Amino acid sequence: MGILDAIQTGLSELLSHKMRSMLTMLGVIFGVAAVIAMVSIGEGAKQEALDQIKQMGIDVIHIKRASITGELADKAAERSPFGLKYSDAQSIASVCGFAKRVVPTREVFADVKVGEKPVSVKIVGTTPDYLAVSRSSLLEGRFLRDTDIHGHVRVCVLGAAAKRELFGFDDPMDKMVKANKRLFRVVGLMKAKEIGSAKAFSAMRDLNSDIYIPINVAITDFKIASQQAIPGDLTQLQKIVIKMLSKQSLENSALSEVIVQVQSDTATGPTASVARSILNRSHRGIRDYEIIIPAELLKQSQQTQRIFNIVMAAIASISLLVGGIGIMNIMLATVTQRTREIGVRRCVGATRWDIVRQFMLEALVITCVGGLIGVVAGIGGAKAISDFAGWRTVVSMQAVIVAFSVSALVGIVFGMYPAVRAAMVDPIEALRYA
Amino acid sequence: MALIEVRDLKKTYKIGSVEIPALRGVSFKVEPGEFVAIMGPSGSGKSTLMNLIGCLDRPTAGKYILDGTDASKLSDAARAEVRNRKIGFVFQSFNLLPRMSAIKNTMLPMMYSTGRRDAKAARRALESVGLAHRFHHTPMQLSGGEQQRVAVARALVNDPPVIFGDEPTGNLDSATGVEIMAIFQRLNAEGKTVIIVTHEPDIAQHAKRILRFRDGILESDEPVLEQLIAAPKPRDAAACP
Repeated sequence: MGILDAIQTGLSELLSHKMRSMLTMLGVIFGVAAVIAMVSIGEGAKQEALDQIKQMGIDVIHIKRASITGELADKAAERSPFGLKYSDAQSIASVCGFAKRVVPTREVFADVKVGEKPVSVKIVGTTPDYLAVSRSSLLEGRFLRDTDIHGHVRVCVLGAAAKRELFGFDDPMDKMVKANKRLFRVVGLMKAKEIGSAKAFSAMRDLNSDIYIPINVAITDFKIASQQAIPGDLTQLQKIVIKMLSKQSLENSALSEVIVQVQSDTATGPTASVARSILNRSHRGIRDYEIIIPAELLKQSQQTQRIFNIVMAAIASISLLVGGIGIMNIMLATVTQRTREIGVRRCVGATRWDIVRQFMLEALVITCVGGLIGVVAGIGGAKAISDFAGWRTVVSMQAVIVAFSVSALVGIVFGMYPAVRAAMVDPIEALRYA
Repeated sequence: MALIEVRDLKKTYKIGSVEIPALRGVSFKVEPGEFVAIMGPSGSGKSTLMNLIGCLDRPTAGKYILDGTDASKLSDAARAEVRNRKIGFVFQSFNLLPRMSAIKNTMLPMMYSTGRRDAKAARRALESVGLAHRFHHTPMQLSGGEQQRVAVARALVNDPPVIFGDEPTGNLDSATGVEIMAIFQRLNAEGKTVIIVTHEPDIAQHAKRILRFRDGILESDEPVLEQLIAAPKPRDAAACP
């Protein structure tokens, strides 16, 4: 008997018991659909994380100001009253040989208005190197220059969202932006940056609503935006204020973040440890900073993905196993029910192998049809999840192929025993079977 | 040369430690073109003999030569091929596949020989048994006589030299039974060797030779002196020139 004949027989057998076939396939359908949908979610999350990490760049490390609260807050206020400060950036730049660029940034509190309308933008003081380190690019005009820093010039560069907020569709070049009653001349415009819907890492924020100004202007004109707790104890507070006032200088000016770009991708680890030891000394053991290495985050996310995949595979194999047992059960019942048919076929010349092949193919047809329905349901499920839950899902062709092949394999494995049972039927007995 | 030669054929069934002899040594020959009826009461060994010469079972001892080859020593797959090419079976209970149409049932042996579905050959076979108008009916939609005709067509489709009928009229009324015997007689006249097992003396009278069995041995082997000639149905007569 030809393969096509056997497949046709299998299909007509399936169609003649629609309800039973459907129920038999259900295990495989659910298994395959679950695998595809879940892998799509995992893949989506992975892509999201990857995009964000790539946006940060894998040849950089971020050192961020962190606020200390609770028991250590008082000690921190005494030992390291300024937190992450300008001199930290300077010492990292001078000590660490791997560092190619060291960019300090200072996010500040500022009241930015267009006319009388306040807008939600963020003013960030930084240096000209920021453009290269942040992987941003200019749409128009220029970025900050060294001469802006040295000359203490009040100029600004607008992020795409900030421009929209402030000027709408007008041309902002050479116009003035008012922040805390000071005027900043717009000299450049940034290209819009793509940013994922869900923020996988705290290190990421939407850079599009930033307005960049020279770092020293940010230090002199504005207070830093920080969540640092103010000590409740008045005398303590007094001490800090006195200390701050007495030592107020560029070196002690608080920074929000220091971005260090290294010579090569592999140097992020060593650079981070050098930076950590510098900061540990200058902050006298107070961990009021956080070092983020995107390359490590990438590794971590890949690790997580691997674990997720293993869990997925386990869940999938269990559901496919259950589906396979269901198929074996039905096939065994079918073999008993069709004993007479087997006898007739054997009598007119079917060999045992013909019978094995016929029943194997029938099981295979069940699982493959189930697998196909499962693939469609899985892709539909992934689509539904991204539509309703707003998660990013990526249907991976690999997952579809693997899930479908496994369902076919289930058909072969679990169809084997019933098929062999069918072939072992004695034709004489089978023909007598009522 | 004899088409079928059976020499001292023995078959013993083992049930637990008890041995039950079903055939105790049987010898006979059937020449090409013969029409043989095998008779005997139940337990006489006629069904066992049928299974052995139909290559469905293997003898415990003795020789069975079918069309020049020793069929008693063939492997399972080789016996399947013999059943497919050299033997056409017709059973008491028709044994058609219920979900297949008449023509698909007729094509079944071809699926295990050439693998091709030669619809033309199947149509020819169905026409020769007078079922030209029933190609696409399922067994459920056919009468008993029509079902048995489909079974005969299935037996013929691979053009085997021998047709075996195991109580082929057992489930039919006597008139329909005679119609089937008419088809067998016509096939025999066209050169096929026909062997039927029956316990109805009337049916056996349609053959040319009767083998009688009792207690696992061949009791008598006689030619039929007054062969009954079954009149074919007018429609069948028209179908075969």
